[in-house]
Order: sequence, then C-alpha cells, then structure tokens
Amino acid sequence: MTLATFGQPAVVATAGFGLTHNTLVVLGGVAAVGCGAGVVGSLTLLRKRPLVGDAAAHATLVGVAGAFLATGRRDLPTLLAGAVVSAVAGLLILVLLRRFTRTREDAATAIVIGVSFGLGLALLGGITARGMPGGGGLERFLLGQTAALTARDAALLAVISLLAIVLVMAVRKELLLVAFDPAFAAATGWPVGLLDAGLMVLIAVMVVIGLPAAGAVLVTALVVIPPVAARQWTDRAGSMLVLAGLFGLTAAVAGVAVSGLRSGLATGPLVVLAAAAICLASVVIAPRRGWLARQFQSRIPAGDDQP
Amino acid sequence: MFFEKPKNGILSWIRPLIRLSFLAAGQHVPVLRIAAVVAILAAAGCGGPTADGDKTKRESAAGHRPRVVATTTVVADLVRQVAGDRVEVDCLMAPGIDPHSYKATPRDAERLLDADLVVASGLHLEGRLATLLERLADRVAVLTVADRLPPDRILEAAGGIPDPHVWFDAGLWSLLPAEVATALSEIDPAGAETYAARAESYAARLREADAEARTRLATIPAGRRVLVTAHDAFRYFGRAYGIEVVGVQGTSTASEAGLGDINRLVELVVSRGIPAVFVETSVADRNVAAIIEGAAARGHAVSLGGRLYSDSLGLPESDGGTLEAALDANIETIVAALTDAEAAP
Repeated sequence: MTLATFGQPAVVATAGFGLTHNTLVVLGGVAAVGCGAGVVGSLTLLRKRPLVGDAAAHATLVGVAGAFLATGRRDLPTLLAGAVVSAVAGLLILVLLRRFTRTREDAATAIVIGVSFGLGLALLGGITARGMPGGGGLERFLLGQTAALTARDAALLAVISLLAIVLVMAVRKELLLVAFDPAFAAATGWPVGLLDAGLMVLIAVMVVIGLPAAGAVLVTALVVIPPVAARQWTDRAGSMLVLAGLFGLTAAVAGVAVSGLRSGLATGPLVVLAAAAICLASVVIAPRRGWLARQFQSRIPAGDDQP
Repeated sequence: MFFEKPKNGILSWIRPLIRLSFLAAGQHVPVLRIAAVVAILAAAGCGGPTADGDKTKRESAAGHRPRVVATTTVVADLVRQVAGDRVEVDCLMAPGIDPHSYKATPRDAERLLDADLVVASGLHLEGRLATLLERLADRVAVLTVADRLPPDRILEAAGGIPDPHVWFDAGLWSLLPAEVATALSEIDPAGAETYAARAESYAARLREADAEARTRLATIPAGRRVLVTAHDAFRYFGRAYGIEVVGVQGTSTASEAGLGDINRLVELVVSRGIPAVFVETSVADRNVAAIIEGAAARGHAVSLGGRLYSDSLGLPESDGGTLEAALDANIETIVAALTDAEAAP
C-alpha cells in the first residue's frame, strides 16, 4: 500500500524472507540496541527507577531540536550528540528536584517528562514555523525510522550498545549492591552517588541510542519490558541481566523479521510488540513466579521478591 | 518567541489565543487549549477584556489592500500570479515545510481570522489544519482549490482517499487561476477585470509549460521513465507526463516506512536497472539513503538524482520560488538524472 504505483504497475519480485543488505543492517543495529537496553534497563528496574528511562527519552527531543538549531545539520551523530546532552541534563534536573525539593521520585519524573517533552515539541514547532531548510523530518524522532538505518548508523548503534553492555558487566557487582541496599553500600564506603550518576548516564546513552531504532515514545518500552520479562524467570540478578539482554535481542530480531515479510509494516512498533509478547508469555509460563506455576503450587511464601 | 510584540497592550496577543480556543475546541490540541485558558485568566486579572482593540484594527485596515492568507507555498504562488500587487498575500507555511504535518500556532489563527479570503489546497493535504479550516469557513471566505477541480481527474491513493498532490500537472492546475480570479473579485469587485485578465494569461502560461514538460520528459528512454521518491507526491505529474511513479512512503508523510517497503524498493530499483532515485525538499531523506545503500550492496549503483520540489516550493530567490520555476527545475533534475546515467544496463 505504501508502494503505490501509477499506470503499469511495477512488477516487484517479492523479496520474501531473503536476507537483504537492508534487513541485515537493521537487524544488526536493532538487535544490539535491544540487547543493550535490556541489560542497562535491568539495573534501573532493580534500582526501582524504571521510569528514569522514560524521562531520559522524553528529554532527548530538546537535544535533537537544539542540535539542529545550533549546527544546521541533521545527520545522525550530530542529532544523537545533542540528544545525549539533553537526556543527561533532564536526569540531572530529576535528581536535583528530588534532593533539594520535597518532591517524590514519581512526581519529579512526571515533571521532567512533561516539561522536557513540551519544550522539545515547542522547539520542533518553532523550527517548522520558521521554515528552516532541512527542518522537515526532525519530528521523525518521535516515532523513529527503524527501517531507514544505514550501515554506518547501525555500526554506531552496535558499538555503543556493546560498550554499554561491557561496562555494565564490568561493574555489575557494585551497581547491584547500590541497587539492592544503597544504605549498606554507603556505609561500607562505596561511592553511591557516583555509581548512581554513572547508571543515569548509561541509561541516558542507551535511550538515545534507541531513538533511531524505536523513537522517543517507544524506546522506553525497550528499557523496561525485557527486564520485567526476565525478572519472572529468575531470582538471581546476574541471570536477570543476561536474560533481559537475550529477551531484548529476541524481540528485536522477531520485530525486524516480521516487518520484512511484507510492505506496510512499520518496524519500530513491531519490535516493541514482540517484546510485549515475550513479557506476556513470561508472566504466564515462567516457573515459580508465573501465573500457571502459581495455579499449581498454590502456596508461595510471601516476601519472595528478594533474590 | 512565536508571538508578535504587543502592539496595543496585552490584549493584542491574548485575543488570538482566545479565538483559537474556540476554533480548537474539539481538536486534539490540549496545550493550546490550556494556553487559551491561562490567557483568559490572565486577562481577567488585568481588569478584563475591553472591546475596542478589534475595532481600531478594522478601521485602520480600511482602505488597505485586501488580505489573502494561503496555506501552502504552492497555493500562495497561485494567488500571487492571479492577484499581482492588488492584494497582500500571506502564506502560513514557510518554504521547505511539510504540509502533511504542519500544526497551526495561535499566531496562525489570528492571521486566518483577519483574512479577507483564505485559500487552501485541500484534499487533506493540510492534514492537521483541516478541522481548523472547516470551522473557519463560517467566519471567513475560504477557497479550497482542489475541490474546484473536476472530480473525475482526481486520483485515488491507497484506501480510496483522494490524492492531494495535484499541482505538478500543469494542465490540471491551469483550470484554477479562473477560480481564484472569481473568489478575488468577490472580495475586491473593483479588481475583477484585472484578475480575470491575469488569470487568463497565467492559465495560458501553464498550458504552455504543460506542453513543454511533455516534450522534455519524452526524451528520457522509455524503460527508464520511473520516478522513485521519498513519498507519493508525483502521481498527477506521472499521469500527465507518462512517468511511472513509486514512493517509499504513502501519499501522506505521516506513515512510517517498514523494512518490507525498503526491501521491495531496493528489489525494484535493482531489477529494473533504475539509475537514480530522488529526495524531496520538504521530506526527510533517510529512507532514500537506505535504498541507495541496499542497491549498492547488490552491485547496482543508484545515484541520488537530486532534490525535487514536492509539497513545498523553494525560497523566493531559489530556482523553485514559483510553481512554474519549480516544475522547470524538477523536470531538469529528472531528465538529467534518468538520461545521463550510462552506468545502468
């Protein structure tokens, strides 16, 4: 349907399920992002701040618009650099709000999401109203343009995702300790503030990297859903990180594969739907915590949440 | 930032907000509605609105040239060609703006409401303005040009929706100057003769451009008359001049292209040996870049044929400042890219 032709209809040999160059590129880029988002997202979920990713995602719009206004360019690295800056700034404001005003975590998150998204939309609207050449298409960052990834874009996404995964794995013991018992971690001399800040920056980077793959609105799903699914299967934090990464990767591969089947299927939303399907399946069939398991062993000790 | 400097106190910029709040009621613009409410509250705090602002404006406007507000650069050009200097033409969308995703600002509502005549393109081209324009029709004269074309010459896009991109069929577009002249004569009867004469000569120029376009595009080898663009904006152009047209995105830029769409286009470009694909000035070009890369990986060099004017004309001083110039520039770009590339088999 998007392939509308006039006159003699274009005879298009059905690409079918062949692994074309574009399919491989998109697959590689999105799979890496899915995996990285799952791993980093697990940590924020365990730290009980799942919405931090959402705040970062909505804050990216300001940076995308700002980077375009400042440089007049709209290539991916420039816009993503702007997005990282504004995402980190958004999270910094979130932390400051929580620390220096009597604002609850969820309220502070809601403020950052609303204000930064509004500011981002206002800037995009301003670019539109002033008719800056090349400004068209910036609003694509709202929903992403997954299928349009080029090899260079995908390589950038893959490298940064892998770096994030390696970094998390390297300091996972410290990050997990802070996540589970910040008071104990502080008492034993760990730099809790620094580790928290590091985690915030990591999630900001991961969300920004997810922008081209899913867009500002859907990227939150990639950071939250795979970890929630993984949590159903295990009580051990280490296994959860690995599982969340695998689930994110699987969702990416499944979404990309389905959208490659025929035309008219937007890729980004399908990846998120695939993640949601994995999560639903996990909630139902996971051993011990799953719905089915609980039907059979009716007695589950309360307070089972501690891994 | 988006408001004019207050001319006669705070009311001059609050009023458009209040007006827009009526127009926007029922639309999905909560931000604007909240802004309107805030503005009304602020006005109440300042002693309440007085009624004289509007009157002075109307009086000072008397004796001035009629004001026509056009939505897109394409219809603004149409009005300018017919009206010449007799009217003041104000165009809502700046050059390079995508009309499909354009959202009205409070300032726009003020411009629309103060117009003597509003000229829109129609057929859902101005997707997000459509409701506003409908509501506007009760208060201001609105001419929707595409509605004046013969219905049997309107193309249908996927899903049975009419395709709004009528202007690059110069023959079809040449039917419209007369319609604009009629509408202008109603708001400015004294100029009726001028409008009719200018409309006739402009229509004649468009018919000439139509014939010339047909001749020039016929020089492209028959097998290569395929135009691959970012979105389906050239179907009327294709029908008029015998060119097969394929867009990555559908008729509106609002949809997201999926991987399947990209794969199919790569397949099409490679299997048909198409030498060049095109980007549009008002649409993001990442999809087109992905297609070029995909074709290159299959060993088929596709060049970027150039930038086409599609839903927006260029800046006044560019080579696409008017519809005639933009059509000319597009044809030159297309002929050059599809004829010269000898790399294709």
